[in-house]
Amino acid sequence: MTFPRFLLLAAALLFLSSCTHHPDVPASSHEAECLPAIYPDYCNVTVPCNIAPLNFMLPAGDFEECVARFTLPDGRQQTYGDGVKVQIPEAEWHAMLNLSKGKSLRVEVWGKTKGEWLSFNPFEILVAQEPIDEYLTYRLIEPSYAGWSFMEIAQRNLTSFDETQVFNNEIACDDRAKGQCINCHSYQNYKTDNMLFHVRLSNGGTVIVNDGKVSKVDLKRDYTISAGAYPAWHPTAKLVAFAACMTRQAFHTAHPNKIEVFDLASDLILYDVATDSVSIISNDSTLLEVYPTWSPDGKYLYYCKTVPLPEELRDKDIISTYRKVQYNLYRRPFDLATHSFGDEELVYDAASHDKSATLPRVSPDGRYLLFAQGQYGCFHIRHSDGDIACMPLDGQALPSVDLTNLNSEGFAESYPTWSSNGHWIMCSSRRGDGNFTHVYFSYFKDGKAAKAFLLPQEDPESDTFRLKCYNRPEFMIEPVRISIKEFSQVLQ
Amino acid sequence: MKPSFLYTLLFGVAVVLFFGLAYPHHLHYQEQFQLFLFDSTYVWDIIRLPGSIADLLGRFCTQFFLFAWVGATIIGVLLSLVQLLTLRLVGWGRLYGLSFMPSLLLWLFLLDENALLGGVWAMLLTLLASWGFDKLPDGGMRRVLLLVAVPVLYWAAGPVSVVFLLLQSPHPERSLAYFAPFALLAVMLALLPRFLPVPVDRLWVGIHYHRFPTEVATMLWAAALSVIVIALLGHFSHSRDNASSSLIPHVSWVVVAICMGCLVWRNSNFKAERVMKYDFMACHQQWNRILQTISTEKPNNQIGVTVQNLALAMHGKLIDHLFDYHQNGLAGLLPDVKRDATSPLPTAEAYYQLGMIAMAQRTVFEAQEAILDFQKSGRCYKRLAQTNLIGGSYEVARKYLLALQKTLFYREWANETLQLLGDEQAIASHPEYGRLRQMACKDDFFFGDHVTPDLLQNLYLSNPDNHLAYQYLMAYHLLTDNRNNYSKSPRQTSAKQ
Repeated sequence: MTFPRFLLLAAALLFLSSCTHHPDVPASSHEAECLPAIYPDYCNVTVPCNIAPLNFMLPAGDFEECVARFTLPDGRQQTYGDGVKVQIPEAEWHAMLNLSKGKSLRVEVWGKTKGEWLSFNPFEILVAQEPIDEYLTYRLIEPSYAGWSFMEIAQRNLTSFDETQVFNNEIACDDRAKGQCINCHSYQNYKTDNMLFHVRLSNGGTVIVNDGKVSKVDLKRDYTISAGAYPAWHPTAKLVAFAACMTRQAFHTAHPNKIEVFDLASDLILYDVATDSVSIISNDSTLLEVYPTWSPDGKYLYYCKTVPLPEELRDKDIISTYRKVQYNLYRRPFDLATHSFGDEELVYDAASHDKSATLPRVSPDGRYLLFAQGQYGCFHIRHSDGDIACMPLDGQALPSVDLTNLNSEGFAESYPTWSSNGHWIMCSSRRGDGNFTHVYFSYFKDGKAAKAFLLPQEDPESDTFRLKCYNRPEFMIEPVRISIKEFSQVLQ
Repeated sequence: MKPSFLYTLLFGVAVVLFFGLAYPHHLHYQEQFQLFLFDSTYVWDIIRLPGSIADLLGRFCTQFFLFAWVGATIIGVLLSLVQLLTLRLVGWGRLYGLSFMPSLLLWLFLLDENALLGGVWAMLLTLLASWGFDKLPDGGMRRVLLLVAVPVLYWAAGPVSVVFLLLQSPHPERSLAYFAPFALLAVMLALLPRFLPVPVDRLWVGIHYHRFPTEVATMLWAAALSVIVIALLGHFSHSRDNASSSLIPHVSWVVVAICMGCLVWRNSNFKAERVMKYDFMACHQQWNRILQTISTEKPNNQIGVTVQNLALAMHGKLIDHLFDYHQNGLAGLLPDVKRDATSPLPTAEAYYQLGMIAMAQRTVFEAQEAILDFQKSGRCYKRLAQTNLIGGSYEVARKYLLALQKTLFYREWANETLQLLGDEQAIASHPEYGRLRQMACKDDFFFGDHVTPDLLQNLYLSNPDNHLAYQYLMAYHLLTDNRNNYSKSPRQTSAKQ
């Protein structure tokens, strides 16, 4: 860094720091002898060295004020707190992270309640050496049943709080009564020059970005049961594997899961971006195949497939058999030269453990397989027993990696993903309230997962008032640069 | 008092009386499809788009429509102000009656239950800006301010602000300065689509003047156009002084008033008003009032029949009096859930009162999601909080209640209800929530868009005190002409024994 730049940065830091409230630590307090009940819970978590500030708050109904003191590994300290919230300026936070890389920040919290200060047990924030991918995309949508209103695909810079819109369901919707649904954003190798998302109903189609060029395609062919869903880009070739599904849903009258999503039929298809051709990967009419994903080297396609139902249930309606529908994990070798698939191999026999496994994702180093798991079905984000599981791909037949620190008790987790360096696991979880999904991260190293933490927000209370689900979180190493306008032009 | 002010006052009173007496439920309807929050994120989402200030003021005022007379008064004041600002263009002369034309057209605009008050505010802001500019002296500073005002007013009022430009720009010489504001507006409209995530045509015809986003607010634009026409007529008319002491202004007012009255009456949708009245009464659980209403006029529309049957059941009269009133098969008992914002709400009320809490929750949710301009609803949020509370999902209920805490008229209720969360004893002893929790479905079923007799039977058998479920089950059999099942029903069987 040149000297003038350094001066500029120092001046900026000074300015920012002068704008921030650095309260005094209470002169006297009672010891609470417990960890603070901060929201989000960032006590003793491991975070990336480039993550946005972990702003938090004490419960507003119970406390009037909050003061937090951060102690760096070199002993330097800084205090924060404004009302019940602790919001740290980005520049100061990143400076603290840089100085704590590979070490930890010690955090002491005081809370004022009924005019008296309580001091809580200190906790640590471990700062990992490994960064997290800079960007994240998710769809923001109400936890809907059948209908929906406004939805958007948004991208978030994980090193700051910047969130911008990739696309929304308003700009290219000509028929509001019919509506428009946008979903299944997907990227090749965490980059955005080859990506896609689906647009359903009004002006529907699949929007594909091929080397930065945007186009709309219709993936429904005469010989497929539907257009594509749940896309997976091949890591090196311009090929996308999809599931073609006939998805339905039903609603519970008295069950915490509220909604059951199931497929009446589902196949796997392969789309060749270069030739705009769709070929069938598998379409066993008696079984359901779904959620394709590629191994990082592109030599295998992993996917989920149901096991045959017991004889006595085969002609029954799926409404009465849905609890018996269980998916195993399989893979098939892929020959890039001929675009052909080899014989199926069973990767994980979930059904034999009375489980159903979905949404597989292979780690970038090819050593681990993440997936969602519940007792039955294919849509575990709607199942309170849905958890994330991980199995080493070293010939073991069981998900032996302990993910207790990632999963919650009694709330759904689903849609697991690896960061591009394989050190951060991301998933959706309804653990906050059972209804709204949020994004959680967990540090992963040497087969061990650290305590999960919630996607940080500038105002720690913002997720409370944002009545949206963070749907299908996907990592990216660069932002989507194509404007909403450009996307909308190919749809109209 | 000047006669012109007297006429304005009469006009305002007429507007208030019309909306207060003849159209009150249209105002309630408007209120239930928005949720004004005193929240910076909510305000930011509005002001980041053109037409923002008008939209914000419109939404702010619409929250008062919960009380129809207050809403009627707001509309009366706004339309009177528009008339007074238009009066400047023609004065007290033979064209005086025309000063009521924009207000009349706005009145016609507001007869449409999906016309948004933001459109009226857009007109008012535009005329106010024009009035302010008329007070500025001619010169360079005025021209500079005009250039500043064009984008500012476009952002504040939306494309209706083009009226301001047309009113303020006429100059005898067609110089560069004359064309500059037009050029600026054209450049703005060309560039904005690159930066704003909204359809291009909305930037030209208005983002939030009408609840149907693809609908052009014709009456609003007619009102805007009428201002220009009136200004031109006023400009070319030299009759003001001559007519000021004559009867002509009075006559012109009388002519306009008669035409106005006829037009408003002919274009009013009193059928919709009656439907909205039934929905309003169901929403506020006015069962006695519903029975009084149906005794004088039997409803023959789906919402009216659904509400009528619910009120009969609430009084234990559904089975005995089912066929004393119009019926519409099952569509009048528990209609299938449709994808619109209006028709599911009375059905959801019936589900709620029956104890089908999950179905009520889903139905209310679908209704809210079907609001075409993507707004939220105070009524729906309230019911979503209640159903989650009854179902024991306290953290979800809390989210809705915290949002309602940021409103003017739902805050108190939200504060009271927040106290109940997690307090099982208080909920059990609550007259509504305790009863509904007891009546609720105990067994798990799947449901879709329509109710089945199995579901009603299970609801009744799991709690024989659920008389409403029994009546609906019997009514279901009677309406489907299934006398066999009716006679085999649990209570009928025990009565025979």
